Amino acid sequence: MQARRGRRVPSLRALPFLFIVAALLGLLPLLHSHGLQHMLTSEPPYRDPAVLSAIEPGDVTAAPPDVSQEIRPLTNHSSPGHSKPRKAFPVLGIDYTHVRIPFEISLWILLACLMKLGFHVIPSVSNIVPESCLLIVVGLLVGGLIKGVGESPPILKSDIFFLFLLPPIILDAGYFLPLRQFTENLGTILIFAVVGTLWNAFFLGGLMYAVCQISGTGLNHIGLLANLLFGSIISAVDPVAVLAVFEEIHINELLHILVFGESLLNDAVTVVLYHLFEEYANFDQVTVTDIVLGFLSFFVVSLGGVFVGVVYGVIAAFTSRFTSHIRVIEPLFVFLYSYMAYLSAELFHLSGIMALIASGVVMRPYVEANISHKSHTTIKYFLKMWSSVSETLIFIFLGVSTVAGQHYWNWTFVISTLIFCLIARVLGVLGLTWFINKFRIVKLTPKDQFIIAYGGLRGAIAFSLGYLLDYEHFGMRDMFLTAIITVIFFTVFVQGMTIRPLVDLLAVKKKQETKRSINEEIHTQFLDHLLTGIEDICGHYGHHHWKDKLNRFNKKYMKKCLIAGERSKEPQLIAFYHKMEMKQAIELVESGGLGKIPSAISTVSMQNINPKALPVERILPALSKDKEEEIRKILRNNLQKTRQRLRSYNRHTLVADPYEEAWNQMLLRRQKARQLEQKMNNFLTVPSHKLDSPTMSRARIGSDPLAYEPKSDSENLPIITIDPASPQSPESVDLVNEELKGMSRLPPSPEEEEEEGLVMHVKESSSPGTDDVFTPGAGDSPSNQRMMRCLSDPGPRPDPEEGEPFIPKGQ
Amino acid sequence: MGSRASTLLRDEEIEEIKKETGFSHSQITRLYSRFTSLDKGENGTLREDQVNFRGFMRTLAHFRPIEDNEKSKDQNGPEPLNSRSNKLHFAFRLYDLDKDDKISRDELLQVLRMMVGVNISDEQLGSIADRTIQEADQDGDSAISFTEFVKVLEKVDVEQKMSIRFLH
Repeated sequence: MQARRGRRVPSLRALPFLFIVAALLGLLPLLHSHGLQHMLTSEPPYRDPAVLSAIEPGDVTAAPPDVSQEIRPLTNHSSPGHSKPRKAFPVLGIDYTHVRIPFEISLWILLACLMKLGFHVIPSVSNIVPESCLLIVVGLLVGGLIKGVGESPPILKSDIFFLFLLPPIILDAGYFLPLRQFTENLGTILIFAVVGTLWNAFFLGGLMYAVCQISGTGLNHIGLLANLLFGSIISAVDPVAVLAVFEEIHINELLHILVFGESLLNDAVTVVLYHLFEEYANFDQVTVTDIVLGFLSFFVVSLGGVFVGVVYGVIAAFTSRFTSHIRVIEPLFVFLYSYMAYLSAELFHLSGIMALIASGVVMRPYVEANISHKSHTTIKYFLKMWSSVSETLIFIFLGVSTVAGQHYWNWTFVISTLIFCLIARVLGVLGLTWFINKFRIVKLTPKDQFIIAYGGLRGAIAFSLGYLLDYEHFGMRDMFLTAIITVIFFTVFVQGMTIRPLVDLLAVKKKQETKRSINEEIHTQFLDHLLTGIEDICGHYGHHHWKDKLNRFNKKYMKKCLIAGERSKEPQLIAFYHKMEMKQAIELVESGGLGKIPSAISTVSMQNINPKALPVERILPALSKDKEEEIRKILRNNLQKTRQRLRSYNRHTLVADPYEEAWNQMLLRRQKARQLEQKMNNFLTVPSHKLDSPTMSRARIGSDPLAYEPKSDSENLPIITIDPASPQSPESVDLVNEELKGMSRLPPSPEEEEEEGLVMHVKESSSPGTDDVFTPGAGDSPSNQRMMRCLSDPGPRPDPEEGEPFIPKGQ
Repeated sequence: MGSRASTLLRDEEIEEIKKETGFSHSQITRLYSRFTSLDKGENGTLREDQVNFRGFMRTLAHFRPIEDNEKSKDQNGPEPLNSRSNKLHFAFRLYDLDKDDKISRDELLQVLRMMVGVNISDEQLGSIADRTIQEADQDGDSAISFTEFVKVLEKVDVEQKMSIRFLH
């Protein structure tokens, strides 16, 4: 045993190195393709060795001589005007230039993913060193390797960064932003973002100018504005770096949202300051008009960005209302609209980050109410995937760019930048917190302040902004870049690595991992209402007052337009409960299989009807999954094949997967169990239920209009004949699936999983009886309980298969 | 309005209220003027339930933010009205209508009904109530006692949620 374990461990440890080596080897064709491309257009003699060495690592099939022969005919094709000698037909050719760019991009992304994979295989390293540091190191290695081969490594171009790498991360952050904490702390976040960044920029810029004025450092040529520009570039806290580091330390939500929110919202300030100083740095003086315009432009940039985001968010929500027939492309709408919001904002020099966040926040509640469960999962996973890959690529490229760029190291400049950065951050946080604590209910403790100050990490945004400076106007660009990179490295490595032990040392509160229970949801909402009332009494227009107003506006207008169908009337509590039940249903199916369901029902539901659990179990024999499969197979093979609706393959529909069927079945059974209870209640209360059949609920949840057929189980449903004049007639169904009109029996199954709310028809026709339901009379419940207690003695076995005429009260 | 308020509220009363609730002098006078503006009938009470100013202040005292210096105050005095436990007790009493120190299923149903409106059926609310009780109930009496209530809300930041920043 020991020997075996000993043998396994070194191989495990070797795995990441193998990954690295494999990835690097994969780069070789890339490098040589650089050479290949140059050489294809220049001297022929170099062709053979280059090609040969390119083939080696790939090591596929053709023998080198064949290939080299084929190269010549190809290049002969590419050079026009030459007479083409007749040659043998090329069996195997190589044409790297054709696929070069996608190939390289894919290689880089593959490298990034392999790195990520490698790091998680060795848990010991990833506990000490945050992933971002490791990735930068890998980038350094790769950059060094490329340089060593003689090629020039690619630098992280600002365009690629801002247009392709940054948006997924921000969208992921914005879409899943914990809105409650964010709005509660919005004032604090804004003050840190705006005032804090301004303070940092000016303090740093001013001090650096002072340093530059010191004779003997050789920095006299850098003017005040150039220094201020430098200050504004480097003072912004970077969301990517913050996310990367804070994600791993699981700090409590308040601190997380403070630092993260600040890093997101300071984008507007950074944009304005950058453009302002860049414009005027050459003239080296700024008039008062410029300052005023700059101030104005700040509001335009930030509010404009938010406005653009909101507009796109609303359009996206509106579009999602109509996607019920083509569920497959729903996630794409979310991504496209958000990306367009970002690009539109960038088009007008507005803050793209704020647009992206605003669109994600605005569209999320409506889109989630409209799209199917699968689309929701898709969106979640795609966003996480893209942001993860983006982040990895950014850090790797940072490393590569460090090696690749030209640097100009000036000790004074760099060291003083570093020191002043830290000092500015600490002073800023301390000062602002003192001011903010006067207005906060829950004050920020010194521990919190320390973490906030320590968490001010700089990252790739600063680098890209510095890279954007052009040489003619800013000759000291290289020095700036060097200083920026040094600060980035320092913050990411030193602060990133030490923050975790510091958090443990200072015993800062960590994030709670458990999910929100329904109790918390109910009580939190209850307290919201309570506080709104109290605020009203005091005449105090506080936080709750405005939130209440927003909620009312939302309910009255927005939800009606933007959410499809009946879900627009669903209160938030019910939506939450619905989600919880679905999650639990999925968990039950995934963990225990179908056999566990009867027990689940009996524990969750009515404790006052314990004896009823028995008939429930009798109806639903606990079948294991394999047995069911067996039965199904037998039936399929032996029953006469009636004319089924053929499922033609259609790219636009999603095939139902077995989990979903099992889960829907489980939901179906839960409803049956509940119907038993409801039958007793029905003697006292009016059936103000929603109309649906279980199949419709499946359609709602499963969202595959064509792929579902009513199961044979439906015979087990309590057959309750319905007075056609009653509201529960099939005609009043206005849901998605027209095919289900064939269902002639609609047992009124009140279920929590199906969220159409109540159709309005119910109210008008059964009015005489409904009054009982809505007045919370004390008389109702005891009699209800009494009835249930009576029924707890089953007496003659209540056979739910018999059709009991259903007598609603008042009809 | 201001002068009338100050004449109707004597200094000793203000002192008593200050000691009991912890509000400052200016806060009490401001709230008194608010109280009188709400008190349309000018009989010194709000509504038929006869909430007088003392009761009004006592209730509002629950919503005062917890201050740091209070946390370290002497433990032998009576617990201040705005402590976490008292805030939770206030909320609990709002649920518990028959004052039997337990939130039964029906009381929960009533509160849910009020929060959710008329569109949702009783059965659905019933299952939510059942699930809520099932989650919170530890001693198996199908009702939520105060300790269970406190336990359920231990993750919620009640000090922040149930506080209003009264202007000084």
